[in-house]
Amino acid sequence: MKRIIALWCLLPLTGWTHELRPGYLDISGLGNGRAEVTWKLPVVGTVREAPEVVFDAETRTTTPPTEQVSGDSRILRWEIERRGGLDGAVVRIEAPDGRFPDALASIRRLDGRHTTYRVTPEQPSFTIESAPGWGRLAATYLMLGIEHILLGFDHLLFVLGLLLIVDGTRMLVKTITAFTLAHSLSLAIATFRIVEVPEGPLNACIALSILFLGPEIVRKWRGGDSFTLRHPWVVAFAFGLLHGIGFASGLSVTGLPHASIPLALLWFNLGVEAGQLLFVFIVLAMQRAWKSIDLRWPLVLRRAPGYAIGILGAFWTIDRLAATFTI
Amino acid sequence: MIATDHCSLITFHHAAGVLAHLVQTGFGGFYDGMAHWAATPEDVMVVGALALLAALGGKDRVRSLVVTLPLAWFAGGALALVIPLLVPGQVMTIVSFGLTGLLVALDRRLPVPLYQALIIAAAAIHGVGNGGAMREAGLGWLGLTGASVSVFIITSLLPALLVRIEKPAGRIAMRVGGSWLAAAALLMIGWWLRAG
Repeated sequence: MKRIIALWCLLPLTGWTHELRPGYLDISGLGNGRAEVTWKLPVVGTVREAPEVVFDAETRTTTPPTEQVSGDSRILRWEIERRGGLDGAVVRIEAPDGRFPDALASIRRLDGRHTTYRVTPEQPSFTIESAPGWGRLAATYLMLGIEHILLGFDHLLFVLGLLLIVDGTRMLVKTITAFTLAHSLSLAIATFRIVEVPEGPLNACIALSILFLGPEIVRKWRGGDSFTLRHPWVVAFAFGLLHGIGFASGLSVTGLPHASIPLALLWFNLGVEAGQLLFVFIVLAMQRAWKSIDLRWPLVLRRAPGYAIGILGAFWTIDRLAATFTI
Repeated sequence: MIATDHCSLITFHHAAGVLAHLVQTGFGGFYDGMAHWAATPEDVMVVGALALLAALGGKDRVRSLVVTLPLAWFAGGALALVIPLLVPGQVMTIVSFGLTGLLVALDRRLPVPLYQALIIAAAAIHGVGNGGAMREAGLGWLGLTGASVSVFIITSLLPALLVRIEKPAGRIAMRVGGSWLAAAALLMIGWWLRAG
């Protein structure tokens, strides 16, 4: 019975590791109110009826969509024409059940102006604005970064693992800074495609980094000593490189607008950092609050986070390795 | 009419307005649940009132609150998810924080069992309301977990911060806070009666 309960508890865990696979809508102005539309969607599992891009009544389709499947993405291309130009056009994404992956919409004009919008099931439409929108681009990618870290349960669990093995404020700052530097560096390297790592093995390695921390946490409880416990910042830096490539794999699927990659990357990274620092702040503040009221949790609860990190790390490692080798 | 209103004070009924302030963060059910809690004034105020009461009572009361409140909240929500018709009337949620606010204003140090019962009752009422809202919105267990985690975080941080205040002026300020909460509850009950 206990085994059944344990298995049941593990079943939904795959859903906790969010892979950032947004759709990408590119509308490139061709002049005289004409534009080329590219609608790129990640194909996850079985292909369902694809969400449609619907333009307002003043826009007409001039060439029928052509479909192409590239890797794990499905790409549709067609041309549109709108009297009076693209400014003010209302664009809406429609899905039969109202559900579709979050999408980024990039509007590029002939004069170089570029605007980016984030489209979600909660906010499925947007109006193309005439003003160049670096502010909108910043807000879009900042939110995307925050979303990625907040839904990236595996990344947060790794950070929690680091917090559990680190002693002292100075070492904590050093470790978190090392992790931040490493994943910022590898995020940039991977986004510019200087380094390319297949997604399956990469995700397995990220899971392995979490599993790696489990025994170290136990070693710390037992008063043991290891290189990781003495120099956690080195481990944070090394594994941070992996996590950064993981962040980039999500962004690369969307195909970032070439003219704005550095800016988009900067804001995405700032979003990731903001989410990560918020998580670290909450964990540390709660630890401090419990200490200040002399709250001592029972041993089993104190040790639960450490064991959860080990168990989940092992589960994800096996799960992702199996997924890598079965595809 | 009055009889009907009074019935909703002591019985459970299906609240039509539970969806009124559901928040969609775009970050999924867990965070929607957290945001829903933060956007529900009655839920925020009851946690605030219980935090003030615990802080006035000392560290042992704060410890008790940190452990009991989130658990009871989650249990209440789970009950509402399992039994679909369980949703407390709005007035029950208002009375719970108003009463707690009044106890804060009076600086009444309740005996531990009574204090525990108050936490459990308030948390269960609001938890059931939360669970009902999560069910209606299709957020289910994930949304309820998010709301309960919000309660856990705030319950851990706020009273621990307040309990450090030892100066008489600080305690008076907390009692004033309690009286405002009680007054807000009276105002909300007035609106509720007027709206019929």
